[in-house]
Amino acid sequence: MAKKLTFESVNCGDVLPEVRQHISQEVIWEHAVASLDYNPVHTDPEWCRTAQVFGLPVPVMHGNQTMSLMAKVVTNWAYPVGGKLKRMEVKLIKPVQVGSTCTYGAVVAEKHPIGKGENFVVLDLWAMNQDGEKVAVGTAEITLP
Amino acid sequence: MGYLEEMAKYQKTEKQKSFSADFLEGQQIEDYEFWDEIEIGKETVVPFKFEVKAEDMMAYAEGVPDANPVFYDEEYARKCGYDGLVAHPLFISQVLFFLLQKGHGSWIRTPGARNPGQIFEWHDPIRVGDILTLKNKGYDKWIKKGKYYLRYLSELYDQDGKLKVRGYITMILPKSKADVLRYVKGERALEA
Repeated sequence: MAKKLTFESVNCGDVLPEVRQHISQEVIWEHAVASLDYNPVHTDPEWCRTAQVFGLPVPVMHGNQTMSLMAKVVTNWAYPVGGKLKRMEVKLIKPVQVGSTCTYGAVVAEKHPIGKGENFVVLDLWAMNQDGEKVAVGTAEITLP
Repeated sequence: MGYLEEMAKYQKTEKQKSFSADFLEGQQIEDYEFWDEIEIGKETVVPFKFEVKAEDMMAYAEGVPDANPVFYDEEYARKCGYDGLVAHPLFISQVLFFLLQKGHGSWIRTPGARNPGQIFEWHDPIRVGDILTLKNKGYDKWIKKGKYYLRYLSELYDQDGKLKVRGYITMILPKSKADVLRYVKGERALEA
């Protein structure tokens, strides 16, 4: 039986289980509806053919969907034990084209033993496309029981 | 079938069904604020509120997609140590787009806008029944390598004035209304 995740049980260097997501146009559309971000750079393939906002003739996924999937790595790991995300900082490096398949991961970088209820860890986050290129990097702070 | 009709298939909530989804529509452009008009230091409280319903929170998690039951099952969330249904951290995206449909802050809707990265701080959980108010303030804008950047502060407060989420948001925007109109026509306007 797996050991229950607690602040005490975590060590710097621990690697979190990865998340993988294929980014079809339907996945982008569903996110557009969920976030209410209908910007045509994500949603309108015809418009993207000529406007090429990122220099690409195809839609790209929302930056905040990339952030959401990076957060999913954290919430999959820590929310079942009552963890709370305090802060997240993400730099979006490369646009993610429709049709990509991305992997999202994290590693424990720091432990902050502040006191009961306040103890938190800092995670280094990354997102990578199917060609092994990083599309986003970041950090997250999360309190753990 | 057009792209807006395709997306209509995914609309589930009352807010999703009533939201004006065509960001290229002419009248909406008239109501946007553009990079060259943004006044740094100007703070506004958006004159609309977001009443949080369970369906809003669940619809966001579904659109990530993220099936973690803490986002859908209140009883399970309580067993995990929360005081109710949990909002996905980036649920705030839905709140911001709902509240920023025109005027100060509406730059997030402009065709041609790009997202280079964000910082969010969560100060207190968003809960079902919260009535959220948004405060926005642009605090820096700059030009780098021909791109027009804006950095602004967005803060969400609940009905008791408690800070829920703070975002330090950076965007790359088209410079002017004329540049946005080029994008609306589908013209490539990378230099804009």
